[in-house]
Amino acid sequence: MEEMRMYLYFEATAVLYTLTVIAVLLCFAGIFTTVALWRKGKAKSLHHKLSLAAVFKAFITDVIFQVQILKISFVRWLMHFCIFIGFMGLLAQTSLMALISHFSAPDSFLAQSFFHGGGARVLDVWGDLFGVTLLLGLLIALSRRYVFRVQQLETIAKDTTSLVLLTVIGLTGFMSEAFRLMDPQYADVAWYSFAGMLLSQGMQAVGIGDMSYTFWVWVHAGASFIFIAFIPFSKAWHIFVSPIEIVLDASERS
Amino acid sequence: MENENKEMMNESDIQEQPDTVVNDTAPVTSVESDSTVSAPSAESENTAAVAPVEPDTSAQAPAPKLPIEKLSARQMLELDACTRCGECSNWCPAYDQDKRESLTPRGRATQFRDIIGRQHGVFNAGSPLGKLLGRKQVTNQEITDFAKDLYACSTCLQCHYVCPVAIDTVELWERIRECIVDTGFGPLPNQKDLVLKTQNYDNPWGQPRSSRARWTKVAKKKKRINTVPKDISKNKAEVLYFVGCTAAYDTNVEEVGINTVNIFDAAGADFGFLGNKEKCCGSVLLRMGDASTFKRLCRENTEQFNDLGIKTLVTSCAGCLKTIKEDYPKHAKLNFEVKHTLEYVVDLIKAGRLKLTQPLNMKITYHDPCHLGRHAGIFDAPRELISLIPGVELVEMERNRENARCCGAGGGLKSGYPDMQNQIAQKRVADALQTGATELVSACPFCYQGLQVGIQAMDAPIKMRDITELVCMAIGKAPATEEDLQEKD
Repeated sequence: MEEMRMYLYFEATAVLYTLTVIAVLLCFAGIFTTVALWRKGKAKSLHHKLSLAAVFKAFITDVIFQVQILKISFVRWLMHFCIFIGFMGLLAQTSLMALISHFSAPDSFLAQSFFHGGGARVLDVWGDLFGVTLLLGLLIALSRRYVFRVQQLETIAKDTTSLVLLTVIGLTGFMSEAFRLMDPQYADVAWYSFAGMLLSQGMQAVGIGDMSYTFWVWVHAGASFIFIAFIPFSKAWHIFVSPIEIVLDASERS
Repeated sequence: MENENKEMMNESDIQEQPDTVVNDTAPVTSVESDSTVSAPSAESENTAAVAPVEPDTSAQAPAPKLPIEKLSARQMLELDACTRCGECSNWCPAYDQDKRESLTPRGRATQFRDIIGRQHGVFNAGSPLGKLLGRKQVTNQEITDFAKDLYACSTCLQCHYVCPVAIDTVELWERIRECIVDTGFGPLPNQKDLVLKTQNYDNPWGQPRSSRARWTKVAKKKKRINTVPKDISKNKAEVLYFVGCTAAYDTNVEEVGINTVNIFDAAGADFGFLGNKEKCCGSVLLRMGDASTFKRLCRENTEQFNDLGIKTLVTSCAGCLKTIKEDYPKHAKLNFEVKHTLEYVVDLIKAGRLKLTQPLNMKITYHDPCHLGRHAGIFDAPRELISLIPGVELVEMERNRENARCCGAGGGLKSGYPDMQNQIAQKRVADALQTGATELVSACPFCYQGLQVGIQAMDAPIKMRDITELVCMAIGKAPATEEDLQEKD
């Protein structure tokens, strides 16, 4: 009998696949409708020849390192950088897991090393590192918007839903990990998931223990599916669109 | 049809008429657009005439669809690229005066995205899915309100410079204004006069074309200039001095033209001007959304300039410079370089053709015109020129260069919202007063006018000067005396 396909520690069931496909299809449908609207603009988009050097420079400084935000405010840079890097890191981790799970045989070297061997430890550290980074950014964002009520921020539903969904995804990710790590079978490798392990020990110390790992994974996955499906209609859309404008503007002004 | 009519009107040789006649002409735009009448079919010609269906112009009636094809795909993307961080609201001069979210660049982008989504999106208000989602039709009132806020903007470009995503805001607003004008919701009633005058007289002041060069004759008569500049269309010259409408027609700032001519004369520059054949650069039309007339002026001017065989076009007006240097090349090729007078003067000084010898003993502060600084990227040249003038101490305002506060005069704001412009100008004058300078210097006749409004409103102890005036004084040409100024009045 074929070994079960895994998403690292979670069984990649048909339901999970189906929901993933639905979320991704909805996301693509949203992208299609948005791009269709963009394409109704018929005027010339660029007045000068695209400068690849300017595009590359702006991509590094203003998209990856977001120097333009750092010049305005360190706190805002930290917030934005953490959310951006955290989101991208987790997206890459999840995509890698999905690719390995789907395209390589469960007993292949790749699947074995990433889901059972040393690769799994890399994914453990990777997930926690970027998860903590994302949550730190979200903490700053939520504080600025809802606690300190920074004057320049004007909140509409779009702002709230994206922040809330990302926070739910981040927190439930760690919750599920914390409950998983309560299982003695992970004792030897638990500290690779350093943040999850800390949470796990903290929860056990206050008497929260042994809840269903599977339940929390499904909550985590459900929130992620909603987030993915709504990307083109939510604030998260700017993660993909803003970099395009940044590099195009840099090229035009070069 | 409306556009065709406009084109026809512009193309025709309009009779020179006094200012007041222009005000009686038909409005530039009207809500009764071409959607009211469809071309009659062969069948309908043989039947009883059917009265055209008048569009419902009531406030709550569905608005006509905005022609978003006038925007580029990139500009449509820009509406989605806004992260809603609100940095623009910290800097916007209009929002600084009226704290309504709809005045911020973020607010405008959000509102326009919503409007076009409901009109043109896959889930538009008329589609089955749109109805299912409860999306409401865009009403005339919504567009009217949006237009009012859209025109409360001086197109200063500050929002672009502080935007972490670098959205090209001003070009976006200009294109959106074009959509608004085409559907009859803009420009605002008190801006239409300015547009009409430019359409009819090729200058926003509604003055006859034949009096465009009058200032040179008056200045010559008063011995304020040695000679009237030569007509470059008849006598070739290396440099075309493009005077611009404000310096040519507004007697309060004609000093800019007089000073520029005196400087060029002193340096022995090979220059000429177009006299009465000069036309508005079209800046005011482009900023306010009348693209068809702008394109007409751009085409006519470009052809005229290119035929002159000049090496350089020099202008003392920041608005003209931005339009000719930055906007014209988007429509036509120029066979000459474009410089602001101060850049050209720096060249003349470096070449040893102009000597600034007279110490002025002044403490000045310099206001970067938006169209010269943020729009054209000229920040160093004016400071270099000031540093070359003996006896001048430059004290920078806290907000300078890329972050210089706008005077509020541009983009149609002064004509649309004069009170707001006055308040914005006062803020800038207050910035200047804080430096302890006695002179507020700029390099744009429009800023000169705009800031003068603030100085007068505050009765501020600071004198407004154009940078050409300082240069003129430094080469030993006396500035305009009180007598000169009184004579003009």
